[in-house]
Parts: sequence; structure tokens; C-alpha cells
Amino acid sequence: MTAKQHELLSAFVDGELNSQELDELLSLMSTDDNAKADYQRYQLSSDVLKGYTNRSQPVDLTARISTALADEPVHQLAEQQTRKASVISLPDWFWKQTAGLAAAASIGALAVVGVFNQPQTTATPELAQVEQVQTQTAVAASPNRWTVGEQEVEDRLNNYLVDHNEYAGASGLFSYARVVSYGEE
Amino acid sequence: MHWRVDNSPEDRMNADQELVRRVQAGDKKAFDLLIMKYQQRIIHVITGFVHDPVEAMDVAQEAFIKAYRALPGFRGDSAFYTWLYRIAINTSKNYLTAASRRPPVTDVDAMDATIYYDAPELKEFETPENSLMSDELQQAIHDAIQDLPEDTATAIKLREFDGLSYEEIAQAMDCPIGTVRSRIFRAREAIDKQVKAVMGGEEQQ
Repeated sequence: MTAKQHELLSAFVDGELNSQELDELLSLMSTDDNAKADYQRYQLSSDVLKGYTNRSQPVDLTARISTALADEPVHQLAEQQTRKASVISLPDWFWKQTAGLAAAASIGALAVVGVFNQPQTTATPELAQVEQVQTQTAVAASPNRWTVGEQEVEDRLNNYLVDHNEYAGASGLFSYARVVSYGEE
Repeated sequence: MHWRVDNSPEDRMNADQELVRRVQAGDKKAFDLLIMKYQQRIIHVITGFVHDPVEAMDVAQEAFIKAYRALPGFRGDSAFYTWLYRIAINTSKNYLTAASRRPPVTDVDAMDATIYYDAPELKEFETPENSLMSDELQQAIHDAIQDLPEDTATAIKLREFDGLSYEEIAQAMDCPIGTVRSRIFRAREAIDKQVKAVMGGEEQQ
């Protein structure tokens, strides 16, 4: 065995191999009994240093377990499952952000569609006529203002409307004032 | 100081996980490596329940076989060894129950079970000869570390006693990961000479 191969065994004891090196190791172990024996001693030394060993003769169960497993079926379906799992196993933050964006986009799209389609989606001619009259009444004086006859009530309502418009704009919500005054166009 | 990383963290993977994935994909040889890696620890855990050495070997074998059969269902939510440890404990308890012997009432933590081998609940099958050899082995390994050059000794100690990864050792020792890897390898070679002598394997390659 070469020094590089021994180094491979040592790195495996520490779990510090990449996928290609693991391939090399598996190939080496399946063809070279010396490699197996050397690895077992490396592992034993590591176990002793960590306090993992028995106060008994080190034993090797690999051969007898392999023999016992010889008639066991190999696991094959798991490959597809593990690959599939690895494809969808994205981090939680990704799904949270994606869900948030999707929800925001949906609400925005609904609002835009609702604003542009509402005049056309009026259910019946009677309702359309009523809405038209109400719209003309509401926006007769000026856009974005209420007109209800009593000045005090009208001013208070308009203040509410302006406040709502500002807060709604700051929070990213769709402006109620714009919805109210759409018919003015 | 920033060192070139010979084997980047993205490139390295959890070797146990990769071996498990390969076994799940049909590579039985990969399971042999998992047996080699963990058999001593598993035997140690089982001897806490099953004191007869021959019976303990049988239970260990049964535990590994059960693990192999259950491996398709292992999804890596816990470390492979933790999962294997649980199988070993259950197999031991079932064995004692089947043999009409009383299993220990309390469980032992996986790490405690493998580290504290003088714990009273972990009876072991030690003979005077085995015990002597175990003591000699420990002494030989510690002597070998004492004789190592300082850098090499530090690298192996950080790895084995402190459990640091190669990357962490490289940062601690301010050197490339490749250097850490070769220092640890040289330490293992030196230790292995002593181990071979104690185990009677005088054959040098």
C-alpha cells in the first residue's frame, strides 16, 4: 500500500473524505485485505484514545455479518427516494420567503384586476345605474372627497379618508381613496 | 491569514451519511465500512447488557443485521451512530427478555455508554489477559503520542481529544488543511507501529 492510501484510511477514521476519495477507499477495501487490517488498527487506536474500547480483545465482526447479509436483498428503491428528497429539501427560509412573495403578488394582482375590471363586472343594468348615480354624487365636488351636504360631517369624513390614504400608502396597502374615486375617470 | 483550502467544506461530506446513501442505493460493501467503523463501540454498549462475550458478539451481529434491514427507512434525522446505538440497545433488551433475564431499568446515554467504561451499569467481559492487553495498548498509544514532534502531537490531540474537524485544526494551528491531514496521518502511522507490537503483529510493511 502507498502512503497516499494510508492517508486515505486515516482521513476516513476522521470522516474527512470527499465523494471521490470515498470511491477510492471502497475500491481499496474491497480488493486489499491489508488495507482492511490497517484501517481496523487505525480505528482501534482512535477508539482507545476516545475511550470507546472494551477491556477485551478487539474483534472483527465484518466478515461474519457480511456472510449473514449475503442473502439479504440489496436496497435499490431508496436511491430514487433519496434523490427526490434531496431535490425538494430546500431550507425553511426559502419556502417562507417564497410563500410570502406569492401571497403578496396574489393580493397585488387581485387588487389591480379588481380596480380595472370592476366597472365591467357590474352584475345587472339596474345596479350599474345605481352605482353611476352614487359615483356622480360622491365625486361631484372634487376627486378624493366626500360630499354629503353637512359641512362638518363632510370635513370629518374627508379627514378620515386622507388619513386612511396616507397610512394605507405607508403600509403598502391599496389606497381606499383611489378605489372610491375610480368612477371619476 | 487565509489558507488555500485543499478540500473545501462544500466538497467534503458527512462520510457516514454518504455511506448510508450508498447502502440505500444497493452498495452492500459500503455497509462493511460502517461495521468496521462502529463495531467496537457497539460491542462495548452491548456488553453493558449482555455479559457473556460470545452472546454479546451474537447480539452485535443481530443489531447490525437489523440496522441493514431498517436502513431504507433511515432518513438522517439523527446521526447514524445514534440510530445504530438505539438499535443495539433494543436488540440487547429483547435478547435478555427472550432469555428471561432482566434488562437494566435505565437507559444509558449513547456517549456515556461508549466513553465511561468503568460505569457500574456497564459490566464487561474482561479477563486478566484482555485487561492487561487493553492497558498495554493504551499505554503504548499514549507513549507514541509523547514521542511525536510537537506539531504532529498537537494535531492528533486536537482531533482525538478535542474532536475538532480538520478545518478547525487548520485554523487553530494556522496551517492548510492538507498539512493537518498529513500530520494526523503521520501520527497514526507512529501510533500504529506501537499498536502492532502490542497486538503481536510484528509484521512491518
